[in-house]
Amino acid sequence: MKRIILENISKEFKIGFKNEQGALAKFISSFSGKEPQKIIQVLDDVSFSIEAGEIVGLIGENGSGKSTLLRIITGIYEQEKGKILTYGKIISLINLYIALKERLIMRDNIYLCCSLFGLTKPEIKQKFTSIVKFAELKDFINTKIYQFSEGMKERLAFSIAIHSNPEILLLDEVFEIGDEDFKEKSSKKIEELAKQGVAVLLVSHDLNLIKRHCNRVIWLDKGQIIKEDDCQKVIESYLQ
Amino acid sequence: MFKKILNLSIALAKAEFKLRNEGSYLGIFWYLLNPLLMFLILLGVFSNKLGQDIPNYPLYLLLGIILFNFFRQATTESTEIIYENRGLIKSINFPRQALISSLVLKTLFSHIFEIILFVIFLFVFNVSPYGIIFYPLILFFFCLFIYGVSLILSALTVYFIDIDNIWTFAAFLLWLGTPIFYSIENQGWLFKLNLLNPIYYFISIARDLIIYARIPEIWMISGAIFYSLLFLIVGLIIFNKLKVKFAEMI
Repeated sequence: MKRIILENISKEFKIGFKNEQGALAKFISSFSGKEPQKIIQVLDDVSFSIEAGEIVGLIGENGSGKSTLLRIITGIYEQEKGKILTYGKIISLINLYIALKERLIMRDNIYLCCSLFGLTKPEIKQKFTSIVKFAELKDFINTKIYQFSEGMKERLAFSIAIHSNPEILLLDEVFEIGDEDFKEKSSKKIEELAKQGVAVLLVSHDLNLIKRHCNRVIWLDKGQIIKEDDCQKVIESYLQ
Repeated sequence: MFKKILNLSIALAKAEFKLRNEGSYLGIFWYLLNPLLMFLILLGVFSNKLGQDIPNYPLYLLLGIILFNFFRQATTESTEIIYENRGLIKSINFPRQALISSLVLKTLFSHIFEIILFVIFLFVFNVSPYGIIFYPLILFFFCLFIYGVSLILSALTVYFIDIDNIWTFAAFLLWLGTPIFYSIENQGWLFKLNLLNPIYYFISIARDLIIYARIPEIWMISGAIFYSLLFLIVGLIIFNKLKVKFAEMI
């Protein structure tokens, strides 16, 4: 059963840039605050699909369009061209702990973030202990988030995401911070979720991580798929 | 979907309410300070002039201030809410209108404290407080109206950032034009102008029911319902049309 189907996805962005302006144009733009814009092609004719239970890697240099692609799958951005079909609840960890409110205690943050991921209050109550236990933060339930280390925030955000009943899990550079033990534990959890039928799209610069988890890898460059194949083959081509 | 948005709105409103009081020693006192100070200043300045012919002028004034304060606070904050939550909008796909409804709910929490203060004033001025039982009905339609206006402002500000500044100015003009500290009886042109001002209907109905214990005229009630539904529908249409590009624009 396919969970994600992308057909010929293209996306453009208007970005601001400074060009050579005449004196009058400079004068006018200093008053209006508006700057000239140009259009860049972020994704160009991207097509692939992911089956339930599959863990697919997405690699590419910075600015290749990986995060934009995840945002389009999530429904945060709208594509200019192409079609997307998703089957199942999407949980995305794009900016890992952005939803956490620094001045609120962890308990309140768990309730807030789970609500953002669509969980009801009884569901959150039921999962609360498990979220705290997985994040290994049971001594900090009533501590404000600004007193947490980056690693603690990452553990909390990851734990919330995996407990939010995902059927499609989109992970963007989630293992950049944090200790090795937690990375190991999280890796096992991702594999466990995949076995339960969750489709996982894993974006990372860590090729060892990709090798470990993914059977199939997509290499994206300048918005286009350069290669999509078996993990070993794609990584070899990418490194060349 | 409605239940999902409501649950999320309540969760967001609770969080924002806690954040607003976070670390504050006086807490809710700050919500009351602004309308109370405004009330005392305007009462001192206008009670002998503009308020001379208005029965129960202090209550007339305070109720006007409290209702307008609710409207101004929510709508002014709505011009910034999308930009303030840009991180969230770029990371998670949740119903965007929940941000606006949470803002109205959060402002409603503080409005309730102001209404409690008003009820105390009813006792102080020896006016029967029974009229307050009708207030939830007025408040329901007033919330719909504020929600509609906030949807429009929040969505348009993403595309035209100047609306933030324009609205601050427009809200001030609206404050002056609405009969909050004066009456528009016997002032033909101002009365006609206020027929186009939705807040006028809500404030008048609330005053009639709560302070003067009389039933508002049918056209006033119809006007309030008409404007609240009109702004709600227009707000939802504009917001839903524009929200698809929010994440790219901020």
